[in-house]
Amino acid sequence: MSACPAYDCAVVGGGVMGCTTALWLARAGMRVVLLDRGSLCREASGVNAGTLTMQMTRAALIPYAMRGWELWRTTADWLGMDVGTRVLDGLSVAYTEAEVGMLEARASSRRAAGAPVELVDAARARDIEPGLGDGVRLAGFCPVDGFVVAYLTGRAYRGALLAAGATLQEGRAVTGIDPVDGGFALGTADGGRVEARRVVLAGGVWIQEMASWLGVRLPIQCLVNQLVVTERLPPVMRTILGVANGKLSLKQFDNGTVLVGGGWQGIGRGDPRDGGAEIVPENVIGNLQLAVHAVPRLRDARVLRVWLGYEAETADAMPVVGRLPGFDDAWVIGSVHSGYTSGPYIGRLLADAILERELERPLFDPGRLAGR
Amino acid sequence: MSTRIETEIARPDTVTIEVDGRPLSAHPGESLAVALLAAGIRALRASPRAGGARGAFCFMGACQECVVTVDGRRVTSCLEPVRAGMRVRLGLG
Amino acid sequence: MPDAIDLLVLGAGPAGAAAALAAAEHGARTVMVDEALAPGGQVYRAPPMDHRQLGQRALEPEHRDGEALRRRLQCSGVEVATRHRVWSLLPGFRVHAIGPAGHRAWVARAVVLATGTTERVVPFPGWTTPGVIGLAAATILLKSQGAVPGERVVVAGCGPLLAAVGAGLVKAGRAPVAVVDLAGRGEWLRALPAMAARPDLVRRGLGWLAALRRAGVPLLSGHGVVAVEGDTRVTAVRIAPVASDGTPRAERVARRLEADALVIGHGLVPATEATRLLEADHRFVADAGGWIPVLDDDCATSVAGLFAAGDGSGLAGAAAARLQGEIAGLAAARHLGQLDEGRYQHTVAPLRQGLARARRFGQAMARLTAPRPAMVGTIAADTVVCRCEDVTRAEIETAIASGAREMNQLKAWTRCGMGPCQGRMCAETAASLLARHVGGREAAGQWTARAPLRPLPLADMVGEFGYDDIPMPEPAPP
Ligand SMILES: Cc1cc2nc3c(=O)[nH]c(=O)nc-3n(C[C@H](O)[C@H](O)[C@H](O)COP(=O)(O)OP(=O)(O)OC[C@H]3O[C@@H](n4cnc5c(N)ncnc54)[C@H](O)[C@@H]3O)c2cc1C
Ligand SMILES: Cc1cc2nc3c(=O)[nH]c(=O)nc-3n(C[C@H](O)[C@H](O)[C@H](O)COP(=O)(O)OP(=O)(O)OC[C@H]3O[C@@H](n4cnc5c(N)ncnc54)[C@H](O)[C@@H]3O)c2cc1C
Repeated sequence: MSACPAYDCAVVGGGVMGCTTALWLARAGMRVVLLDRGSLCREASGVNAGTLTMQMTRAALIPYAMRGWELWRTTADWLGMDVGTRVLDGLSVAYTEAEVGMLEARASSRRAAGAPVELVDAARARDIEPGLGDGVRLAGFCPVDGFVVAYLTGRAYRGALLAAGATLQEGRAVTGIDPVDGGFALGTADGGRVEARRVVLAGGVWIQEMASWLGVRLPIQCLVNQLVVTERLPPVMRTILGVANGKLSLKQFDNGTVLVGGGWQGIGRGDPRDGGAEIVPENVIGNLQLAVHAVPRLRDARVLRVWLGYEAETADAMPVVGRLPGFDDAWVIGSVHSGYTSGPYIGRLLADAILERELERPLFDPGRLAGR
Repeated sequence: MSTRIETEIARPDTVTIEVDGRPLSAHPGESLAVALLAAGIRALRASPRAGGARGAFCFMGACQECVVTVDGRRVTSCLEPVRAGMRVRLGLG
Repeated sequence: MPDAIDLLVLGAGPAGAAAALAAAEHGARTVMVDEALAPGGQVYRAPPMDHRQLGQRALEPEHRDGEALRRRLQCSGVEVATRHRVWSLLPGFRVHAIGPAGHRAWVARAVVLATGTTERVVPFPGWTTPGVIGLAAATILLKSQGAVPGERVVVAGCGPLLAAVGAGLVKAGRAPVAVVDLAGRGEWLRALPAMAARPDLVRRGLGWLAALRRAGVPLLSGHGVVAVEGDTRVTAVRIAPVASDGTPRAERVARRLEADALVIGHGLVPATEATRLLEADHRFVADAGGWIPVLDDDCATSVAGLFAAGDGSGLAGAAAARLQGEIAGLAAARHLGQLDEGRYQHTVAPLRQGLARARRFGQAMARLTAPRPAMVGTIAADTVVCRCEDVTRAEIETAIASGAREMNQLKAWTRCGMGPCQGRMCAETAASLLARHVGGREAAGQWTARAPLRPLPLADMVGEFGYDDIPMPEPAPP
């Protein structure tokens, strides 16, 4: 390695996690290079549902999600662009006895973690969401939900990163990382080499592969989440609407399109990370049935597009954010449940850690899952 | 002068359909877009963002400019055959 | 439960119909699916039910050939599923469609895609005004619906359909105000050698021109439309001579033609959403209409068991589509083990020869029909490129200037292509604009194809159901 590597930090992977980390490092004066094999935020961080949700965020992550929610509301200030964030009432409804049970349990654990979730009856739920159909037994109401227009994420971060002086290398896949004296040498698919004192692995579902370059085993499951969007419609609903079992996430954007999600799965061809994935038509239909059950007026809509995105999940469904075990200057960030909501906050926390600043909240030690 | 070609075509007798509450005569089976055109109705909807008037453009079901609501369903009027009594709502906002 | 079949043919135009007939003849259990009311595709589009064509109309070659084709299909072993929209195609060839009676699904051992084309129009001010319609669209009106687009019609654009539509209007008793051809006479002359392959079609074309001349219709070659006037309907069309790069010179308006309709087309674009959905290899060939699937001589794509034919696999016209479809059907039968190698080679040899001839002609026509490459550069900043989402050229250029480098990113940043036409009307223009900045169409890439292949009513998707019928997955983690 040359005596003085070109960069103080190389961030590998330009999703919301990598972009946020890189942004705050660059703003703190570090020479940062961000490499992505595609364009910024075109994987999970650009194709996700953009739901800012407390009711579907794991209880332990609520404090992080609340801070993330706050940051998404103010992107014009810190990111330099409005990404269409809206604050909306959130409603999680139960149709069956079992769902009532889930709702009560989820609501109380989230309330305990600081989310303002309140249980309301069907009539009140209908007041909050006039678009609701019949059959609601109980609902959880949370006034701090909302959404972001996720496909604008890359555009916003790109401008901010350039303004902060970060070096962007899009369309440049990293193929390996070697620890070298005084830092790391990254090999790229185009045969190039990038040197940096520190490295951040922010590859979404691919952090497992990235950790393996440095000899660390970090098992990450790859979920294949399905989303469906309709054409523009006159207003049919006004909340972020979910079902207590987590299988529906529904909202109408300002432009009238309705996005239907809820973690229904596509199917990988082998490991989707290598072989790609495909839709399961029955799951498209099932997800839409649930949506129509919740908001009957959706029956009149037309579906325009179904797509799949990859979400990382660890064995304990908790994030990996912190030092890569065995390295002082290699970091990893990812696998955050509802990670889009909390991404701007968690990425900033990691930057603080790298900058050796005091942390407002703890990270999530990758050591608990990692092996060699 | 009608936009229907009258020579060398034998069409079934007209039926009545309803367009935005008003009755309209049209031949069963012909494309709804063609029936609307024959009635001088060119603007079928407003574009969602700029609000500009739009009418049938590709006549093959691709461009979606001629989408109207028929009996509560959104359909491309160019591919929708006329049926007696069909109730059409234009999308002029 | 999906029906297990040998071959699924998507598209019942000349290509798909020929493929289905050929495969079925060799014993393949074949289903041919099309969203239209009757088979025939664009060129043989059937007239509406119970509308009878009489006299000369009934003798038009497309009408006769179309009727013959429909009769042949009726007496064949092909199951024809019209009014069915294929919305999903998956590897292993699981095919999902929605028809009048709801969902249908098939599992096929082989698939022939014969999805045809959509029309291309390079944007100009006023192109979204009601009364502006496509040139190919006008053939549907004239031939199948028996209608004209207006009383004072300007016909403009490029390619042989100009004369066909112009003559069709004359015959309908609504001689067009003018026929405006981007091509100069020289370009037509250069196409002559290739046209010699089809003297019959040349004669037909000359007949159209003669009809226009007799009716006194001005034929303005080397001219193009620069703007349409009118707000909720067309009131006038402004035209100008083209410069040496083939683009109409907006600053040199030669005429203002009062009109209530403009028929305009700049060629066709192969409909590749199905081959893209199945991730077959594609290549960009401007003369073939743009991105097309890579095919071998047996019409096989890079995906085993997946074949493609007709204009959807590269523009070459209806005659070539039929021959190519037949080859694809035979190749599918061979793939299915229902046609041995010797018989296959013996049968396709003459088809290949015919195809080469038909292609020479069809490709020359496609070249004449293609827009001039410089045209997208002259689109005005405030002209809408994406009709569905009202995205202007200026918005596209701003996104490119702020770093959009490939089509999917451009779409995300602007919503260009996100509307209900699913990008069919703007993809070519947007990609050409982007290509100017990133070093070509290959670098600009293509929009990822996704299901559904057509906008689908949710009512049809979900059907009638109760809460307990929903195939609910495991709940999310607590
Ligand atoms: C369909 C879907 C819907 C979702 N909905 C929501 C929601 O509504 N609300 C919410 O809070 N969360 C949601 N999530 C979760 C959320 O999107 C993710 O937690 C978050 O975006 C993950 O960000 P990331 O930066 O870790 O990963 P990603 O955004 O996946 O970024 C990883 C990056 O690494 C790059 N990369 C990979 N390999 C290499 C390499 N070898 N070299 C260089 N670069 C590489 C990739 O190109 C990619 O850009 C959803 C996820 C999905 C998939
Ligand atoms: C509007 C139009 C008019 C034309 N008019 C003429 C003309 O008058 N003369 C001429 O020579 N050429 C004409 N052409 C050119 C035409 O491409 C060829 O002549 C010829 O029709 C090509 O045959 P094909 O079989 O390849 O495709 P097509 O004839 O286009 O057939 C494709 C078929 O696939 C079906 N299809 C596609 N996707 C789906 C799906 N997802 N689900 C269900 N069905 C589907 C369509 O409904 C269509 O019937 C026209 C083209 C267009 C677009």
